[in-house]
Amino acid sequence: MPSITAINVTHLHLLLNHVPTLGSIAALGLLLLALIRRNEAMTHAALEVIFVIAVVTLPVYVSGVAAHRNMRDRPELSETAIRVHQDAALAGFALTEFAGFVAWIALWQSRRRGHAARGLVPAVILLSFAALALMARAATLGGEIRHPEIRADLSASAAAPAPSPVEGPAPSTVEGSRRSGAEADSTEQFVTSAISMYMVNSPWAWPAAETIHFLGLSLSFGVLLAVNLRILGLMKQVAFADVHRLLPWGMLGFGANLITGMLFFVGQPGQYSTSAPFYWKVVFLMIAGANFLYLTVFKKAWAAEGLDSSLTDKAMAVSSLVAWLAVLYAGRMLPFLGNAF
Amino acid sequence: MLAWLESSSLAVWLRESPSLWALPTVLTLHTMGMAVLVGASWLLDLRLLGISRNVPLSAFRWVFPALKVGLIVNVATGFLLFLRTATTWGTSIPFLIKMCLVVASVATLMPIRSYVFHSEPEPEVSSNVRLLAIASILAWTGAVTAGRLLAYLMP
Repeated sequence: MPSITAINVTHLHLLLNHVPTLGSIAALGLLLLALIRRNEAMTHAALEVIFVIAVVTLPVYVSGVAAHRNMRDRPELSETAIRVHQDAALAGFALTEFAGFVAWIALWQSRRRGHAARGLVPAVILLSFAALALMARAATLGGEIRHPEIRADLSASAAAPAPSPVEGPAPSTVEGSRRSGAEADSTEQFVTSAISMYMVNSPWAWPAAETIHFLGLSLSFGVLLAVNLRILGLMKQVAFADVHRLLPWGMLGFGANLITGMLFFVGQPGQYSTSAPFYWKVVFLMIAGANFLYLTVFKKAWAAEGLDSSLTDKAMAVSSLVAWLAVLYAGRMLPFLGNAF
Repeated sequence: MLAWLESSSLAVWLRESPSLWALPTVLTLHTMGMAVLVGASWLLDLRLLGISRNVPLSAFRWVFPALKVGLIVNVATGFLLFLRTATTWGTSIPFLIKMCLVVASVATLMPIRSYVFHSEPEPEVSSNVRLLAIASILAWTGAVTAGRLLAYLMP
């Protein structure tokens, strides 16, 4: 079973891995065009796309680890090249999430005040450019795993089937690729490996991260309960704008959980990448992310004090709560439903 | 008494059954109950501390039925989790600390509840109530932390 999951997930990685780079280029183009045209609606659309890219980058990253596992018994692929790609991808992932987070703040402020704070949209542009640069680097390094011929530094492909005749101290353009094949066995130089060592060996890192994960979960869930119950008819006398005020607290809890969750994943990737409930959790996170964006920007219920929300909004509220409960269920049941623990 | 609880057939089932409906489901329900209980509590505490102050306090009355549901679920599932290893947990310091923190958290809810139901509309929240809200946030944080760490401190 795990191999079937891994094969499907490898396909998913090869399919989705274009989203962070191509998506960011499109979103940045849209955002710049919107600023030139001074078009508010277009600016918001671009910010929404940047948020969605941040959401989709999560399965891109985690499916990459499954793809890696699936390639272990293929000696023609360089383990070093994969590790270098993984480190680059983690950096790109982190910055993409941060760009998505700042884009979300801009959207939240725009919904409240009609415009984002001065400097926030330029900050999104800078962050997205930086994220794009890191992701493009990760993508290039990822491409080199199967296509060593595109490497700038051929001498680094020592683990490839036919070692290049160009041996020697050729200057490396890619940090970390100077290692020879023998050195690739010691993986301590890689950031992902260092995080993993720390998470596994430190007596308190994992329990502390778990504790923060549970505190963050409670905070997020409390906020989402209030916001969604308001749409479903509780607190009807309250304007939605006033409940909307709470969303950043939900984001705070979610941010803590994304960081600690990634520490678990990078810490013990094998435990998650072969586990079906983990992928269910990611799927429900995608749904929950889409719902969260809707809650942040939707217009209909905004001024509807005392009025009933539309059926669409109610369906969104129900699906939001169900998705978060499913995320929680899959997460808590991971050790029991999966086969990897 | 603890030994009797631990040897009850329910405790044995929870300890030894490979069924997903035994320990896994009880643990998951305990976590969901926690999300409702702690989340809704914190929400109210944040309002008392001035977040979303435009929302009248009376609009938050729905929180208490939600808290009641969360509390009932977690007392029930918590009791089942305790049954499993009653002799070791019942006498362990970390577990007793967690119980004290849970009791303290629930205790802060009582005066907060009467404040929410009986205060005049729209007064500034008094500093006493603010202190209560801070105590509530901290007590729940402690209770969740202690509960989560039990998994690592206790066999």
